[in-house]
Amino acid sequence: MAELTPIERVKRFFNREPIDKMPFFTGMGMVLLPAIKKLGYNFPSVHRNAEKMARSAIESARMFNLDSVVIPYDMCMESEALGNEISLYEDSEDILYPTIPYKSWQEVDQVEITQDDIDNVMDKYPMNLLPEAIKIVKTEAPDLPVGAWQLGPFTQCGQTIELDKVLKAVFKQTDLVESILDKFSDMIINIGKALQAAGADFITLREPGVAADLLSPKTFKELIQPRLTRILAAWEPPKVLHICGSTDPLVEMMWQCVVDSGGQGVSFDIKNNLLETRKKLGNAAIILGNFDVFQLPCAEATTVEQAVEGIKTNIDGLVDAVWPGCDLWPDIKEENLKAIEKTAREYKTGPTPAVGRL
Amino acid sequence: MATKEELLELLKDGVINYKEEQVKEAAQTAVDDGHPALEMIMDGLAAGMEVVGDLYERHEYFVPEVLMCADALYLGLDILRPHVPKSDSGAVAQVVIGSIQGDVHDIGKNLVKMMFDVAGWEVHDLGRDVPLENFVKEQLRTDAEVVAMSAMMTTTMLGMKKVIQMIKEKNPNVAIMLGGAPVTQDVANLFGADGYAESAGNAVQEGIKMIGRLREYEKKKAD
Ligand code: B12
Repeated sequence: MAELTPIERVKRFFNREPIDKMPFFTGMGMVLLPAIKKLGYNFPSVHRNAEKMARSAIESARMFNLDSVVIPYDMCMESEALGNEISLYEDSEDILYPTIPYKSWQEVDQVEITQDDIDNVMDKYPMNLLPEAIKIVKTEAPDLPVGAWQLGPFTQCGQTIELDKVLKAVFKQTDLVESILDKFSDMIINIGKALQAAGADFITLREPGVAADLLSPKTFKELIQPRLTRILAAWEPPKVLHICGSTDPLVEMMWQCVVDSGGQGVSFDIKNNLLETRKKLGNAAIILGNFDVFQLPCAEATTVEQAVEGIKTNIDGLVDAVWPGCDLWPDIKEENLKAIEKTAREYKTGPTPAVGRL
Repeated sequence: MATKEELLELLKDGVINYKEEQVKEAAQTAVDDGHPALEMIMDGLAAGMEVVGDLYERHEYFVPEVLMCADALYLGLDILRPHVPKSDSGAVAQVVIGSIQGDVHDIGKNLVKMMFDVAGWEVHDLGRDVPLENFVKEQLRTDAEVVAMSAMMTTTMLGMKKVIQMIKEKNPNVAIMLGGAPVTQDVANLFGADGYAESAGNAVQEGIKMIGRLREYEKKKAD
């Protein structure tokens, strides 16, 4: 049996058809410094230029033999399209992701998302760069699947109004918050559809702002779950739901979102107890994530051997693919990430709980 | 007329159950009736926040509830604080606080700030995504005894080490305290910080301890 190409592997994986080996890929931010450097770019410049975004995304995947290319990179694009200024840290030598220093809406009452924002968000800068970047990747690297992602409505809301204000308003102005979340949901649906239309092969909905260290599971069930389900249902499969932070009390509700919306997988960060989660969700669930995106590939003190051990532990946690628990941090140690990839492919060659082997 | 005990209870309950109006009224009554403001703060507002901390630890309260309690607390504090006689707050120190450059996570930092506010410290809040040198500048400007930095990302955390070096170079007599999810006692030691606290609850205690240690050290040096 000939080796599958990454795009074949990932497509079969999400269909739960047997594949040749353990996939090593992600649906969340993945732009790596060695790739950026090789291309002669600097970190701030890849964020707002479709060509550079596409090329650095492809190079990041190629250099480390990853099974996917991920577009977009940062979480400020939508907020910028809605009129906020962002800070790219063009003068800093450190790697700093764009942030939003000041938000034009200071109070929940001031939020004004118009129908035009919802319907035409993709025409606005910088959102218009994304389909362009995806198309470049599709032409230049047709063997690599493109993973796109969107923030969930609650986290996105926190990118346009201060998150603490939103958190309080959940109790104090519940109706208003619900209507804002609905508008964001409509916008997110449209963005996801546009990214899929441009060629994205799978999509991840990420809602870190609702982890159980911030919101109660009860609030998750009432306020968040229906909206995540609606968004996912509006997109084409394959689709994954990811939440960072404390997720143990949420896993069943998260999986329910996926099932109800015709989705494929759930993803967590390192705070999740994977073996327990597998017990709760069963073998039909595609479970992803939980690999420490800083300690294993980046930390100065982490040796190659330790990185390898870390990935073995991750695989022993019964994940169906090796998939970082969050954005891969750009400043990786090349030797560690290479060893991680090799271990991912070789450590266990048999089927995982949800996906068989050829 | 409400007794002192009743007012303390109203303040405490108002913080715990985020009843802003109740806190405002009780604080104003306490001022009008001439009750000692510091006691109202410590045994009313702060006592309420202590219960809130427990509820949070036990997962009965989540962050939104804690933030609402904090709002209620600040309303009371704004009314009572101006009435604390200067001599009462004499022992209290100054702290410069902020979330480190590149890090916009500030919910945890704001809770820590609140604890210092409650304890009567003079707080200089630099906000978040604070350029490293601003911590140094603000410390020099205010001569604060403590600098408290928050980082929520393993990557931004590294900036704290640089700040510590910069501050210690200019002014070794500053106690530097670190916190935030990726920070541990080991990290704090490694970076050369003077203190660390896992949660907002023990940040102030740690601050006081640090200042104590510094003063002892100064005394020894002088002897
Ligand atoms: C809310 C949140 C956000 C919000 C922040 C809004 C805001 N205004 O703060 C938004 C959506 C903007 C955001 C963005 C990002 N985030 Co974020 N976020 C979180 C989340 C879900 C919760 C953090 C929180 O507020 N906790 C609640 C508070 C009360 O707790 P706390 O902060 O720990 O504070 C307590 C203690 O630590 C301590 N403390 C805190 N500071 C200090 C300081 C001192 C001096 C002391 C003594 C004590 C102390 O006291 C506090 C109270 O007890 C965490 C995941 C998690 N569940 O922890 C991720 C997390 C922190 N984010 C993360 C990341 C990577 C990001 C992003 C890069 C995007 C991404 N890929 O998710 C961006 C980066 C933005 C930036 N440049 O800073 C990672 C960090 C990973 C790492 N270790 O490096 C986390 C851990 C998620 C994850 N697992 O990947 N995020």
